[in-house]
Amino acid sequence: MSGEEPRIGVFVCHCGLNIAGVIDVEEVTEYAKTLPNVVYAVHNRYTCSDPGQDEIRKAIKEHNLNRVVVAACSPRLHEPTFRRCVAEAGLNPYLFEMANIREFSSWCHPSTPREATEKAKDLVRMAVAKARLLAPLKPLKVPVTRRALVLGGGIAGINAALDLAEMGFKVYLVEKKESIGGHMAQLDKTFPTLDCSICIEGPRMVDVARHPNIEIISYADLLSVEGYVGNFKVKVRKNPRYVIAENCTGCGECRDVCPIEFPNEWDMNMGVRRAIDIPFAQAVPLIYTINRDHCIECYKCVDACGARQAIDFSQEPEEVELEVGAIIVATGYDIYIPEEGNLYGYGRYSNVITALEFERLILAAGPTGGHVIRASDGKRPKSVALIQCVGSRDINKYEYCSGFCCMYTLKHAIQLKEHYGREVEVYVFYMDMRSNFKGYEEFYRRAREMGVTFIRGRVSSVIEDPETKNLIVRVEDIALGEPVEVEVELVVLATAAIPSKGSDEISRILNISRGADGFFMESHPKLKPIDTPVDGIFLAGACQGPKDIPYSVSQGCGAAARAATILSKEEWEIEPIIAVVDPTKCRNVKVKCGICATKCPYGAIKAPQGQPAQVITAMCHGCGTCAAECPADAITQMHFTDAQIFAQIRAALEENPEDKILGFLCNWCSYAGADLAGTSRFEYPPTLRPIRVMCSGRVDRDFVLEAFRLGAGMVLVAACHLPYDCHYISGNWRMKERMEVLARMLTKLGLSPERFRVDYISAAEGVKFAELITEMTRKLKELGRERIVAENQKLKPVLERMLSRKRRAKTGS
Amino acid sequence: MPMKLQKFETDEQLKIERIMYARRYSLTLDKRRCVVCELCEAVCPREAIRVVKPEDGEQAPPRLEIDVELCQYCGICNAVCPFGALELKINGEKTIPVVKFESFPRLIRDIKIDAEKCPVGCTVCMDTCPLKLITVKVVDEEGRPVENVDLYPEKERLKVTVEIEKEYCPVCRLCEYKCPYDAIHTQKIIYGHISVKNELCPEGCRECVEACPIPEALQISEDGRVVANDLFCVYCGACRIVCPVEGAISLERTVIRHTPVHSGAWNKALEKLTSTKGMAKELRSRALIKVKESVERRLA
Ligand SMILES: Cc1cc2nc3c(=O)[nH]c(=O)nc-3n(C[C@H](O)[C@H](O)[C@H](O)COP(=O)(O)OP(=O)(O)OC[C@H]3O[C@@H](n4cnc5c(N)ncnc54)[C@H](O)[C@@H]3O)c2cc1C
Ligand code: SF4
Ligand code: SF4
Repeated sequence: MSGEEPRIGVFVCHCGLNIAGVIDVEEVTEYAKTLPNVVYAVHNRYTCSDPGQDEIRKAIKEHNLNRVVVAACSPRLHEPTFRRCVAEAGLNPYLFEMANIREFSSWCHPSTPREATEKAKDLVRMAVAKARLLAPLKPLKVPVTRRALVLGGGIAGINAALDLAEMGFKVYLVEKKESIGGHMAQLDKTFPTLDCSICIEGPRMVDVARHPNIEIISYADLLSVEGYVGNFKVKVRKNPRYVIAENCTGCGECRDVCPIEFPNEWDMNMGVRRAIDIPFAQAVPLIYTINRDHCIECYKCVDACGARQAIDFSQEPEEVELEVGAIIVATGYDIYIPEEGNLYGYGRYSNVITALEFERLILAAGPTGGHVIRASDGKRPKSVALIQCVGSRDINKYEYCSGFCCMYTLKHAIQLKEHYGREVEVYVFYMDMRSNFKGYEEFYRRAREMGVTFIRGRVSSVIEDPETKNLIVRVEDIALGEPVEVEVELVVLATAAIPSKGSDEISRILNISRGADGFFMESHPKLKPIDTPVDGIFLAGACQGPKDIPYSVSQGCGAAARAATILSKEEWEIEPIIAVVDPTKCRNVKVKCGICATKCPYGAIKAPQGQPAQVITAMCHGCGTCAAECPADAITQMHFTDAQIFAQIRAALEENPEDKILGFLCNWCSYAGADLAGTSRFEYPPTLRPIRVMCSGRVDRDFVLEAFRLGAGMVLVAACHLPYDCHYISGNWRMKERMEVLARMLTKLGLSPERFRVDYISAAEGVKFAELITEMTRKLKELGRERIVAENQKLKPVLERMLSRKRRAKTGS
Repeated sequence: MPMKLQKFETDEQLKIERIMYARRYSLTLDKRRCVVCELCEAVCPREAIRVVKPEDGEQAPPRLEIDVELCQYCGICNAVCPFGALELKINGEKTIPVVKFESFPRLIRDIKIDAEKCPVGCTVCMDTCPLKLITVKVVDEEGRPVENVDLYPEKERLKVTVEIEKEYCPVCRLCEYKCPYDAIHTQKIIYGHISVKNELCPEGCRECVEACPIPEALQISEDGRVVANDLFCVYCGACRIVCPVEGAISLERTVIRHTPVHSGAWNKALEKLTSTKGMAKELRSRALIKVKESVERRLA
């Protein structure tokens, strides 16, 4: 702390009539002047305007202010503006605090101006209380390693890598398979233009291999990632190919002499490859790999390779460590394989195949040389049923829409018609045809014009005729409103796109979350679709949710641009609202504690045995969960210190605490939801006294105890929705665990359970917020003041005892 | 259609299949020819073939198990079986990939028959063959089989043909030894040494003798001892599989006659089949430096 006596200036904004139309700003200003350490208070029409800001800067100089409080709109809106403003006047930007009297008072209590004014006064008092304890903070700067890691070499990863490389950054492209290319390299043609997939992707793959700034690390697994934005340390294991990359010329002479064939995964196990081989002809990098599971060690390949000496049976896995400043995850998707055998007979009937198998069938370089034939008799089918939404849009399997199946089904229908014309009947069984985006609807029309029969309805069953091996498809035709049966010779299933294998592992290693569907979660569904909640880690392509190629490519390029915002800087600034451990208080020195380390959602705390816990500042995201969890109160979250929050609590409950609801609102969801209630002018009773914390995980049980000790009518802790909405991954879960225990204890001590509430409000739920406060206020009234006072009297000595430790510590400071 | 792995078993055969969209593999074990010996189990690189011995108390002979998941249809077992009991097919055609690609040798069945020497009427070899692989026929000048020799007018014009189903023959040489006219000359596929330590044999045990596919190779002498005869033994090791006492039968293979091949896989197989002594000899004689090194590395 600066040590000098605080000299606080309070600036009350009219916001035209937005505030002044309801609240008596004059009264609030006069009231502010009576508050301790306030040496100056004025009101003005628009504080955020240039003259308004000028006034602040002038006042700082003239009145020697060292703290500034602006009572105006939401800090989520203008905090950055005013921080900049006070900084221009030479004040540390963190010596500034806002009282949100617009969204939280004038806008939501227009019909009760008296109460709104009283509430505004409380809000100013709370802000001043916090301001007195503010300390100057310096933004943290971390150096940036100007290299990137792209994980996954599908079309999304390829584009991300190429763009970054073109911008001049070194890129490591880590691919788990032998070749980059991803699913696109498995496809025959691509909708809606029907150009050959590998013909357009192949050159891009070669560009990647040739680019001086890109290093492909294929056939490799991501082992661990440590560090933080600008400074990640990545460990990767290169699996042995038993072929020395530098010596392999890609001639394939070894392959020709290898006696062992095994099913080729790349060909959906429809074709074979040799024990030494490449997965497909256009593989990049073009290095052969020996599969030791199958190799019989005849060493024929060694002979064939001869003087090139590329084959090395003694190769071992190799671990490499990479240092990068940003990471792009582009691990794509997998295809759902209905292995159970009960879904439309796949696995039971030879002539039921998946759409990806169909791609390999119709591909000229595929296992049948491009001939669409039946597995049962090798004959060309004269009728084909394409069934959509297999596993997708099915609440018993995968609830979501897999996005690209409608379009590739149309593609398959058109391809069949193009190849075989009138000789093949094509039926498409669909639920809804989703052909938005450029050129897609036209593609749909083309399919209809080619004579493809579209039948709308979910297929109920597929049954095989044991003799002909033909299939009878049964469906309730929605258009006709009656059941229909169609006999076909081949059935193709458009099976769901699912999160790629190993996504759970990746989410664990990178500390990024996955949605209910299992795909990686973006930071914000609209405004930050490429970011993850972890700074410096971005998403591209189908790993975030099923996407077609154009969309995946755009995201790859987008992710490259997002990564470049970091990589292009020498240093990266981090908000200094991080956690700090007081080593003299930390219990871990004496006993094995480390609770903070286990609770931190980012693994930002290390608690080595016998040593005080240590926060790795650059990894700390500033949620404050550790500060709330620490049993010894050894952790302080800067700018949201215990002392500051206690001061806010006390200020809020100075008068008539029994009539008030003290609310702890997390910045990203519930505070934003409350802001929205204000902006939407949803009126609710003026009973709430809100305290903003970055994350609900910051809410210490002592805060709640203190509020009740002071006689609060009710306490609300509002957070982001479970399970995945928390901006800090799991802060809300930690809060929930903590508060459930606390609630049980308080009830036992005689607190009416309604008086302590934990709820979840998203940034979009303004209505829900208003309803919540209305409902709570109603209950508050129902309970009645008398009962609350009585309960409080009973509770007070107990809470006093529980808090004495804390209060001693606080009043001392 | 996902790849299918299937298995069928009858009293006569055991068949596994790998059915892919446009390719079909099968491996069939002819149980009537299989003597349940040591060879295929020893050489299979994936340990897909196992000899399963009956559980304690179970009254059943040992049998072969093939693991559908593990088999990769390389054909090594097919190539090594002296009895020709295994057959690999790809898309319905008999083939042995490891042999086709010269990663594995064929066994040499050196059997020469000079039927000129055979008098009409002699069928000693045919009667002797323990596996019933020899067919002796009497034919006329045009090669037409003659059913009833006694009715044929010009007997001196008749000829004798002797046919052996070679691919199933382990070359025990019994026929050669029994032939009164010195018309058959053979060389064994596998040379080695076998002996039985009778002092270890449990009272009255006859397991090995019953398991031995060649009656003359293991016999019970008049005093009730088991006597092994190197002359006719094919060194398959079927006896060792059933022998209840470890070490009662000592069997060593020293030479395996095979087509020339230069392959690590074969060396590995050799290593498993022969004594190290025998193997070192083979390697020396071939002076395959690289291959030898690889084997030494493994043995080290
Ligand atoms: C049958 C079918 C037909 C289709 N037809 C079309 C079409 O005509 N037009 C169109 O626009 N779209 C089509 N699509 C969709 C298309 O496949 C996807 O849009 C595209 O492949 C998405 O690219 P991606 O790079 O995000 O993912 P992917 O192609 O899945 O690539 C992901 C890459 O990451 C790698 N990877 C995964 N996990 C890891 C890990 N842990 N570490 C390292 N690497 C990892 C994978 O091996 C892979 O190389 C079709 C899809 C299907 C199923
Ligand atoms: S050593 Fe292995 S990879 Fe090489 S040719 Fe033989 S089986 Fe194939
Ligand atoms: S728990 Fe939150 S505040 Fe504490 S170190 Fe981790 S990220 Fe920072």
